[in-house]
Amino acid sequence: MRSVEQVLRDWEVVIGLEVHCELTTLNSKMFCGCALQHGAEPNTNVCPVCLGLPGALPVPNKAAVESIVLAGLATNCEIEKRTMFYRKGYFYPDMSKNFQTTQGPVAFCMRGWLDLELDGAGAAERADVEKDRDGSYTTRIAITRIHMEEDAAKMIHVGGTDGRIAGADHSLIDYNRCGAPLTELVTEPDLRTPAEARRFMQKLRQIYLTLGISDCSMEAGSMRCDGNISLRRRGETALGTKTELKNLNSFKSLHDGLAYEIVRQAQVLEEGGTVKQETRHWDITRKRTVVMRTKETADDYRLFPEPDLAPYDLSDEFIDSVRAKLPELPETKKARYQADLGLPSHDALLMADDAMLGAFFEETVAIAGVRQARAVANLLLNDLAALLNASDEVEASTEDARITPAALAALVGLIDDGTISSGQGKQVFATLVREGGDAQAVVEAEGMRQVSDADAIETVVDQVLAGNPDKVAQYRDGKKGLKGFFVGQAMRAMRGQGNPKVINEVLDRRLEG
Amino acid sequence: MPLSESDVRAIADYARIALTDEQVPQMAVDLNSIIDSLDPIRRIDLEGVEPTFHPIGDLSNVLREDMIAPSLDRDFALSDAGAVEDGQFLVPSIMGDE
Amino acid sequence: MVVTRGDAPMPVDIAALSAAQIRAGIIAGRFSAHDVADAAYAVIATRDTDIHAFLELTPSLAYAAAERVDAAKEAGEELPSLAGVPVAFKDNMNQVGTKTTCGSKMLANYDSLFTATAVERMVDAGALPLGKLNMDEFAFGSSTETSFFGPTHNPWDLERVPGGSSGGSAAAVAGGLATITLGSDTGGSIRQPASFCGIVGYKPTYGLVSRYGIVAFGSSLDQVGPFGKTVEDVALATNALVGRDERDCTSQDCGTDFTANLHAGVRGMRIGVVTSMNDAPGVQPEVVAALHEAVENLKGLGAEVVEVDLPHITAAMSAYYVIGPCEAFSNLSRFDSVRYGYREPGCELLSSQESLSRAVGFGEEAKRRILLGSYLLSSGPYEEYYVPAQKVRTLITRDFVRAFGSVDVIISPTSPRAAFKFGEISDPATMYLSDLFTIAINIAGNGGMSLPVGLGRDTGLPVSVQLIGPQFRDENIFQAAAALETCYRIEHVAPMARPGAVSRVVEPVMTIGSPTPPATMKGGE
Repeated sequence: MRSVEQVLRDWEVVIGLEVHCELTTLNSKMFCGCALQHGAEPNTNVCPVCLGLPGALPVPNKAAVESIVLAGLATNCEIEKRTMFYRKGYFYPDMSKNFQTTQGPVAFCMRGWLDLELDGAGAAERADVEKDRDGSYTTRIAITRIHMEEDAAKMIHVGGTDGRIAGADHSLIDYNRCGAPLTELVTEPDLRTPAEARRFMQKLRQIYLTLGISDCSMEAGSMRCDGNISLRRRGETALGTKTELKNLNSFKSLHDGLAYEIVRQAQVLEEGGTVKQETRHWDITRKRTVVMRTKETADDYRLFPEPDLAPYDLSDEFIDSVRAKLPELPETKKARYQADLGLPSHDALLMADDAMLGAFFEETVAIAGVRQARAVANLLLNDLAALLNASDEVEASTEDARITPAALAALVGLIDDGTISSGQGKQVFATLVREGGDAQAVVEAEGMRQVSDADAIETVVDQVLAGNPDKVAQYRDGKKGLKGFFVGQAMRAMRGQGNPKVINEVLDRRLEG
Repeated sequence: MPLSESDVRAIADYARIALTDEQVPQMAVDLNSIIDSLDPIRRIDLEGVEPTFHPIGDLSNVLREDMIAPSLDRDFALSDAGAVEDGQFLVPSIMGDE
Repeated sequence: MVVTRGDAPMPVDIAALSAAQIRAGIIAGRFSAHDVADAAYAVIATRDTDIHAFLELTPSLAYAAAERVDAAKEAGEELPSLAGVPVAFKDNMNQVGTKTTCGSKMLANYDSLFTATAVERMVDAGALPLGKLNMDEFAFGSSTETSFFGPTHNPWDLERVPGGSSGGSAAAVAGGLATITLGSDTGGSIRQPASFCGIVGYKPTYGLVSRYGIVAFGSSLDQVGPFGKTVEDVALATNALVGRDERDCTSQDCGTDFTANLHAGVRGMRIGVVTSMNDAPGVQPEVVAALHEAVENLKGLGAEVVEVDLPHITAAMSAYYVIGPCEAFSNLSRFDSVRYGYREPGCELLSSQESLSRAVGFGEEAKRRILLGSYLLSSGPYEEYYVPAQKVRTLITRDFVRAFGSVDVIISPTSPRAAFKFGEISDPATMYLSDLFTIAINIAGNGGMSLPVGLGRDTGLPVSVQLIGPQFRDENIFQAAAALETCYRIEHVAPMARPGAVSRVVEPVMTIGSPTPPATMKGGE
């Protein structure tokens, strides 16, 4: 199969996302007082309302409105004051009433947008856009709407293979999640690459986390994403037939599932076939998309206004009061990190995008001083990520790091004043992340001391040069890159304790002199 | 245009009501007769009239605080179900052996 | 007072006592709440074999309630407003400890898992819950003939229907089996059976009484209300029922005491009559005569009679048969055999289990309504019928608002005719008209009460008028009704329930499986 980058040279891909997010930080469900609780025993958080017992009536959760208005304001949406709930009918046992209470044509949040910054390998996927010198670009993705609805029950399919629904002997239903408050964000089909889709989801997730409206766990399913994908030849304006892609429940799945589907569709089209309108499932183990069901006719959900619920009439005062609660959003934070703390754009973006890391960073800088901001950011962005070996769930693992802001501030202080080398600093950092504790104590326990004494270093450097006459000759013939080799040899001889700055100075004197 | 028998079948499928072949023609007659009688609302001048979807016109923002209320005892909640297993509602195969 | 203590076979005559009299009797020590329950179950045992108003008796709940009342009396506490009053509930009202069948095979074995607010409030007011009452299946009908459990018979003439859908509720009061019963009214299901059974039946303004726990038919039309022998009994029950319930978003605060102006008279009150409606073809002459007599009586009491026009009311019927089935289709979707309800055995696939359970569990009328709703909500008909129907609702509501600008109450017939016989097929036009007077009120949401105004000169059966009030001004209805009531020497119960009457057994005329007349949907509700 071809790579997605190759396909995208001939084809334009049009992607729209539907992002569901359960408001896990609320106490109770959307229309009843049952507790929102992950991992509870099945059917222990159910009542007449969420079980859909005959005669039960819904009453909406007040706090859910505030959450979704926060989400709307943070994604540049217009807040619709006058909205109402509708009943969306479909028979499926995960929805206890066999209709879902959701919003109609007018959602709480309409016509928003997010700007996405793409760089590196992600940016490389897109061929048709003007990029900055560093290969990065920014693109604006329109958000159609964010509406409020209720979540469905969880089902377990028994007696088939891999818990799949097809071939299962029977299914079991746990209504604990049924009726949980759920937001659904729908984008316009503005996304053009899998990397953009992933970036959108990452950015949205960070916004929601910053707002505190959800734990946004893609693994636990509190944040879920479906993609609609179609292809058209470059230059065409009409949209191709789209497929809907499900089970994109990690950033990696989202990217790889879309990438697979793009390549698949291109192959079908290039072989003269047609793409069928169908829902496909990203099979994460077999790394391919498989058909779930075909859609021959448009769904008719018998949507009509829910007579049991009063319409909403949000006041300007209410909307203003929610706006006043908006925390600093990643985008503003990024600008501040660049302007006030001197981080390079890319570092500022990464730091601002990760709510937990950002908070840790700011706390550390508050102790260590603004002058150390870049050093702190380097350790957190480069070393922490490497240490935790996180593929895409950096934030989740950040929680596991045992280092404290105070210890990190002390550590950068020790590096800065030359007590230890930056290489030693990385080792201390690793220890602190794994075990916690105090930077000074680790330095002492490991017997680390940076040797800056020029005499001692000269002795070592002379030995290194004397031991490698051929390389010295090559250096002097112009192979200046060999300097790193000499530094490394000297450092090794000093068991990592030599001050690299001094080693460099001595080397310069000896080699150039 | 009156509902055909296949329309009636589609409507019944959607509503999850199994009609026998014998029942379909009579149901088509019944439904068409009722639909005919709904004609007055199509003849009345409704230009500029807003629909009343909610019977109490000025009702809005009826909400509850985000507080946890007791749930049902699980055995009680399951007690009306035709089939249960491991504290869950049991349904037969949804897709069969596709 | 019929009451005697000691060796008399029936120490308390339920048929002869009002709610207030029962409470007063208990306070005075003439009998206990326990005695009342005994008496009620005794008459049910003898008389309900003929009437078949009850689907389930709940003596353990009734006697427990009686014991609470008697203990409170013993302790010298003030007794609540309905202390010791025997009551019963339409079987679409959930009550823990009872089945809630809705008169359907679908729910024949459904045990209530919670209790309706209206039921709770009656019991909290000291009433004795005797049991659950028969009804048209899911409240679809106006004769109680569509009940899966067989029809209820009109106590005035056992060969006649009691009306519907709350036929059991009306027959229980008219038969002297309970003092107050609750029904639900979507298109006339309280008022029409009250009329057929010669008692008082009241549908409050939409929002006055919580719908929580009442199995929904048409969510924007349904309202719970009481039946009683007198306006005062109904007012006492209404006082117990009304008020905001946080479990029903549409329920409203209410600070009104509905007994307050029962003796205020109607002097200076403006009573509206809708001539075009009252003289409509199909309205029986005895009904017209009774209405005119009632209007004259009100005039005689000092009321001013004003003609009002409700120009869009003729479209009410069509709007109702759009909105009702659409909401019913949606509300009845939950009966899918999974969590409760009839489950067709032996199905290998869920879809066939659902479709067969619904085909077998629902009766013919229910299936027709569901399919109609399923059609009318699909995308084309939604624009063609559903939205226009809700616009018609706006016009009808405006009609009423305008009319109530000049009157305090509107009077109309409740039903164009007295109770009909089982199996008696009316022509569709008559059937439709029979609902017109009541249906328009559900469309607009106003309160309406059916008040018996004597026996028809042709049939000798009870005939009633309907009193309609402005939204949330239901006290007007009670004021006018209580005054008008004084003009009649009304026998509050059917002859069979009066002292000396002898029960007789009749064969049920209509049984399960009888074909429902096609195409014309049974009205009422």
